[in-house]
Amino acid sequence: MALDAGLGKRIAGEHRISMLLLGLCPAVAVSVRVIDALWMSAGVFSVALLAALCGALVRRWGRSGEGAAAGATVGKWMGALALSSCLTACFEVVLLAVAPEASASLGIYAPLIAVNCLVLGSAGTGARDSSITRAVLDAAEQGLGFSACLLLIALLRESLGAGTITLFAVDGFNGVIAIPSLARDPARALGASGAGLLCLGYLGASARLLRWRGEGREKELSP
Amino acid sequence: MAEKSDQRASEALLVTPAPHVGIRSSSARKSWLVAASLLPAAAWGVMLFGVPALLVLIVSIGASLVSEVLSSLLFRRFTLNDGSAFLTGLLVGLLMPSGVPLYVPAAASAFAILVVKQSFGGLGRNWMNPAMAGVLFAMLSWSGAMSNWGAAQGILGNVTSLPPLEALRAALAAPEVTGRAPLAVLAGAGYRFSNGDASIIAWINSRLLAPLGAALQPGSFDVLVGHVSGRIGEISAPLLLLGAGFLLHRRIVRWQVPVSYLASFLMLAWIFGGLGAGRGWLAGGPVFHVLSGSLILGAFFIASDPVTSPLSEKGRWIYGLELGALTFFMRYFGTLGDGVAVSIVLANCTVPLLDRWLQHREAAPLREAS
Amino acid sequence: MSWGGIIITFALVDNVILSRLLGVRHSVCMPGSMRAAVGTGISTALLMAVSAVVGWALGTLALVPLGFSFLQTPAFVLAVAGLALLLRQAAARVSPAFVKDVSFPEVAVNCATLGVVLITTRGGYTAGESLVAGSAAGLGYFLVTVMMTAIRERLEVEQVPRALRGLPLHLISAGLLAYAFMAFDRAFLARVLGG
Repeated sequence: MALDAGLGKRIAGEHRISMLLLGLCPAVAVSVRVIDALWMSAGVFSVALLAALCGALVRRWGRSGEGAAAGATVGKWMGALALSSCLTACFEVVLLAVAPEASASLGIYAPLIAVNCLVLGSAGTGARDSSITRAVLDAAEQGLGFSACLLLIALLRESLGAGTITLFAVDGFNGVIAIPSLARDPARALGASGAGLLCLGYLGASARLLRWRGEGREKELSP
Repeated sequence: MAEKSDQRASEALLVTPAPHVGIRSSSARKSWLVAASLLPAAAWGVMLFGVPALLVLIVSIGASLVSEVLSSLLFRRFTLNDGSAFLTGLLVGLLMPSGVPLYVPAAASAFAILVVKQSFGGLGRNWMNPAMAGVLFAMLSWSGAMSNWGAAQGILGNVTSLPPLEALRAALAAPEVTGRAPLAVLAGAGYRFSNGDASIIAWINSRLLAPLGAALQPGSFDVLVGHVSGRIGEISAPLLLLGAGFLLHRRIVRWQVPVSYLASFLMLAWIFGGLGAGRGWLAGGPVFHVLSGSLILGAFFIASDPVTSPLSEKGRWIYGLELGALTFFMRYFGTLGDGVAVSIVLANCTVPLLDRWLQHREAAPLREAS
Repeated sequence: MSWGGIIITFALVDNVILSRLLGVRHSVCMPGSMRAAVGTGISTALLMAVSAVVGWALGTLALVPLGFSFLQTPAFVLAVAGLALLLRQAAARVSPAFVKDVSFPEVAVNCATLGVVLITTRGGYTAGESLVAGSAAGLGYFLVTVMMTAIRERLEVEQVPRALRGLPLHLISAGLLAYAFMAFDRAFLARVLGG
């Protein structure tokens, strides 16, 4: 029993990491600068949170009381898609109004938040809990994890790949902080999509190692 | 239903023909021998470019060895003595121009060892050639630095800093230059070969070829012998071929990949190469192109790497043809160096697919028999 | 851009998976066999081509004239999902085995398909250009999926570091593949089209 529970927990933990990594892919493509990562994180976080809230409410007041099963029906899929895409459209409208240059630099990646695994998971295609608080907290936790990873990768890529760190432009300051030694001749290949995939791969391995350490398993690096 | 489970069972028990996956790993001695066979060409490069070239080689090999030691500490397995890290570092260094800032070969070697080789489990388990991936990473990151050719000190006279291939590309960009062979284009653009070359070519033309009504273009000797600028290890075709001959004789490298690579590139360059230069079909100047850039180095020492090339013989032929075609396209249409590193990396990506396709076909008779 | 330029751009230069990092989940990390990969690649490619045209129609004939441009995202997402369902029904009629290998909900929410539709509509492509772009993107997608599946099968039998086994190494391999494809850049495109 305990073994099954442990295995189940490991699989669930592994699954969460995988979902996080894969949901990060499109975001990593567009987040070559820190500022883009910040806006992208804001988008995914807010949409996931609202999707979790709405999804949980719909499930609470819907006909079937139990939570969405893994093998969702067509209706549930379309419903989740409709919910996430409407929320994403709202985010896009707000972003265009508040920060048009951010909207321009995010480009097609802002609408793609609608089909992000994290967001869809929060909207109910993969959720197992029917408790509203639990769903919202879960979405918040995943959203924060997402944002942290995205910001870390963007920081690494921009500082080593362009020698700068780009933040919000405030009057007088254009937002670009140049790192003296790196800005002279940065490794431009780190700004490419390949670097994003490499970072995600190593991030996944690091997350796995941290989890193993937390579980008390010896660091198993060697084959 | 029964058929499907039978098929799945037979797939699970599929016995592929030898060599099996495990035999991909090169033995320790092989890597050291390959490195040794590269030394003549390396020495020539150091002689021509001097101390900067030596420093580049030291840094690239050093970074490679340090990276290997770091991963040895992580994996608790000492692997420095298998020579592969040394070879990777040497190859990365030989594909650098001598004037490159030293952080470039260091980063390229570290990337090659840590990301491309050790992340996959070390020698024999990577699917992409580490040295080429490292060089590609450097080309993408520091494209300006990778064109920093450095001053060359010739022994037969002055050596122009810009390599012939790059000078040819620059000259062909001018619209009025059409209808001439590569060396003629260079002469027309004012490219200077050494004084030694001029006198030797003049002697050959007047004494040996004039009675036959033929003549060698000035610059032929320099290009043939390798008395030109370029990346440290790629310039001397005769010395590279000497090393390659040793490796082929000792059967350390298989001849199918280099031969098919060079043959397909030669054919394509001859047939189509003249089109861009306004010379029409079958007039491409293939010999010049084979001797320029890192084609010979790539074909004999890198593309033939048993770890990243196909397992079957048919596969190796196809791989060589693919490499020749890719190098031709990348040289004539691409912008990343001379096309060799890029095409080896691209062709590596198709090797698992080639292996799968060919091995399954070869195994089919086995399956039917059981 | 000419049709040749569109084909090279969408298949190689701005490859959907390797350059835009869309559809990585379904192409790089799918647990299936080569058969499933081929099936998914073909169905996604078909879906991309059809969706691009439908997206053009929706955008040009409905959303813009009626002033509902802000509803672009829900409209496209639901249109793509609907088309995936239709595709599933059609495929089930033609070849039930094909349907079993391919997971159609996964195909429906593939970022790559939606991404291609958004690129072509926002780029102002005509119907013909959208079809060509969608097909080329599908071809590029199929190529990368098949290559990655072969690489994954090879990695499965190698003794790789345990922390990197599985998804991390697949992502790293995709990253290396992405670097290789950077050989096909805009300058390459210009030379191929111009020269």
